Amino acid sequence: MDDETYRKYKKLGRGSWGKDLSLWKTMYLGFINLAKEEEFNPFVEMFANMFLRVVNARKEGKPIIMYPFNFEPALFIAMNLTPLMQETFSVGLAPLKLNEPYIDITNKMGYGDTPTLCNAQRPIVGAYKQGVAPIPDLMFFTPTPCNAITMSYQVFQQLTDVPYFTMDVPYWAYDQLNEFYDEKIIDYMVKQTKDLIFWLEKETNQKLDLEKFQQTMKLVNEARQNVLEFNELLKNVPCPMPSLAGFMNFTAMATHSGTIEAVKATKYIRDEAAENIKSGIAGVPDEKVRIAWPYTHIFFDVDLLPWIEETFQAVVILDILGYYPVLPHDVSTIEKCYESVAKGVLDFSMVGTCRGNAEFYIDFCLNYVKDYKIDAMIIPMQFACKHAYAITRIAAEAVREQLGIPTLIFGVDPYDSREVTSETIKAKISEFLTQVVL
Amino acid sequence: MTILEKFYQSIPLENPWIESWKKEGKKVLGTFCSYIPDEIIYAADILPIRIRAKGCAETPMGDAYLTQTACSFTRCCLEMANRKQYNFLDGMISCNSCDQIRRLFDNIRFKAPPPFHHFLSVPGNVNETTIDWFKHELTKFKETLEENFSVDISDNKLRDAIKIYNKSRTLLKELYMLRKNTAPPISGTDMMNILLTNVSIPKEQFNELLSQQLQEIDGKEGISDYKARIMLAGSMLDDPDYVKIIEELGGLVVTDAYCLGPRYFWDNVDETKNPMDALANYYMSRVSCPRMAGRQSNRVEHIVDLIKEFNVDGVILQRMKFCALWWGEIFIIRKKLKELNIPFLDLEREYVMSGVGAMKTRVQGFMEVLEAR
Repeated sequence: MDDETYRKYKKLGRGSWGKDLSLWKTMYLGFINLAKEEEFNPFVEMFANMFLRVVNARKEGKPIIMYPFNFEPALFIAMNLTPLMQETFSVGLAPLKLNEPYIDITNKMGYGDTPTLCNAQRPIVGAYKQGVAPIPDLMFFTPTPCNAITMSYQVFQQLTDVPYFTMDVPYWAYDQLNEFYDEKIIDYMVKQTKDLIFWLEKETNQKLDLEKFQQTMKLVNEARQNVLEFNELLKNVPCPMPSLAGFMNFTAMATHSGTIEAVKATKYIRDEAAENIKSGIAGVPDEKVRIAWPYTHIFFDVDLLPWIEETFQAVVILDILGYYPVLPHDVSTIEKCYESVAKGVLDFSMVGTCRGNAEFYIDFCLNYVKDYKIDAMIIPMQFACKHAYAITRIAAEAVREQLGIPTLIFGVDPYDSREVTSETIKAKISEFLTQVVL
Repeated sequence: MTILEKFYQSIPLENPWIESWKKEGKKVLGTFCSYIPDEIIYAADILPIRIRAKGCAETPMGDAYLTQTACSFTRCCLEMANRKQYNFLDGMISCNSCDQIRRLFDNIRFKAPPPFHHFLSVPGNVNETTIDWFKHELTKFKETLEENFSVDISDNKLRDAIKIYNKSRTLLKELYMLRKNTAPPISGTDMMNILLTNVSIPKEQFNELLSQQLQEIDGKEGISDYKARIMLAGSMLDDPDYVKIIEELGGLVVTDAYCLGPRYFWDNVDETKNPMDALANYYMSRVSCPRMAGRQSNRVEHIVDLIKEFNVDGVILQRMKFCALWWGEIFIIRKKLKELNIPFLDLEREYVMSGVGAMKTRVQGFMEVLEAR
């Protein structure tokens, strides 16, 4: 970004934001400093403003709603709430190695350990104890894909007294051709969406503006379409974008879905991919290996993916979050808008692949490997992620048996650099790529 | 043989009652969770029993497929399935009790598939909408049983099954309430055996045994040589030897909060309603498991009520290693116990008894604390 823009955003980070926003401020300043070296693109602008929006909401007394990574916040935006995706903390603090002190505090408080409960949620428990994380006004979660979310939000509620609403997410599919199809699932999800709206209206003493809701859902559709097109472009050989690009789309959808900012950001990255294909530019020069990464990135190590790219001329096409499977849906009526929210919940990244039977995840891996002409799968499994870790082996077997593609699975904590170090991770990947793949 | 000794015969996975049942040419289905309504299975003249992993010694397959950070109960079950220890079952029923159970079921389906299996998507929260969904799940379950086993599960059969199960619940509660006495007529170890029998043999026979047991203890002197009255709460527990260790050290377990305990029988299914409505309402609205979001205050209140009613001196919170739900739940329970100044001991354990020496030391220390109060 240019000096003037940098100074403008830097200045906005000056002064006290209040103790409860001190971690938020640390992340903001870290982000601005990192972004200084980057082009001031719609992603940078979107995230810089996201930090500031929460600060302003605090100042103006606007309700902040906290929710996990598994939901498009469009409905909250339509109701003028300020969305705060809880994992912004654990993902944002990971590269700064700042989850660790709060994980230690959470351990001392007696809420779980790393192999049992996910550190995507746990650090904020310690941060609450220290008073350095903002307590929201409302909370919402869906208890999927994992028990860690279910339990952590119950614990947050006990610690903060903030009311929450939760929406059940069933095991089944809404696609009639799927063997796990259930004819009532959409009606059920729509009913729960209406229950959520009723709850939000009651808690915030306002009615949902249906026209605004429909406009918001149109923006959701535009962004979903951009992501869909972007992910199609990644099928190109060589892949037109470097390894982290797909994850950026996920962050836009999980934090800003329903805003013009998300539309701009997802369009920007889609256009870049299309332009790269047109110009013959590859994300990784002389691409030799195409890697599927059907789990999350290792957030504490921002150098890992560039290292893989440089060392092995290998590109990680998409992580499980960037593999964003939510399609645009008909939003021509309000009823259809509810349906679109419902389908968004069912299909969201990781939820769509992990909320149901193992076949959901296995099919995702098989399709991913086939569609993207993958040479190898790497699955860095978080120790506490029981719902995914316990099906990676059968998924890897299916991929090997049906498609002849090898898989590396290893345990790690993406949020805590101490559990499995960068050196160990690199050694495992190096051994796998050199001895099995290349 | 005393009645209590008869209850002890149900401890092996394949017990004499199951053998007799099968000799009649009737089917047996294994279930993984207390949210699966046994009444529907029983109404099909099929015996539902709770799947356990008694006898599991090592878990190489569980470690490899579920990973070593899965709880040892699920790793043991996968091992037992792979070693064909569940082959006496005609099928398995599971639900999304927790992430580990649902993935155990997936791995069993892939690696050691039972002749029949069914999965229920049990909602993770309770309100009118979710209860209605659960009824839909129960209807699908009933229809699947009817189709696969060529049976008709009529409303009348369901009503009969509900009555029989309610009788069990009533009898269990009657026995359970006697533990409020200063000298309870039954130990925690024996109670656990009875609770295990409750989920391991046909209900009519269980009811008969339990009625006899109640008659046998009527008017008899109870247990008074204990140091402290204990509540045992936490993860899935089906090992009477675990309770026995606590009781040998002077703690008398007088009440409990785990899935085979009061949650199973504290309230009855409404016999006046349409049976599927009644079952859906009952299973969703009773005292819940930590998997049910939004009900934690209700669960903690239930525990506090039991502590008061059963005059508990101290609580042992046992948690199976890697059990996410119970770790969170215990975090919440501990906060309440601290507020109420109720002593507690937090114990981590594996499914297969191990570290007995360390456990004894900690329980012994806890007993000393309780005695000193």
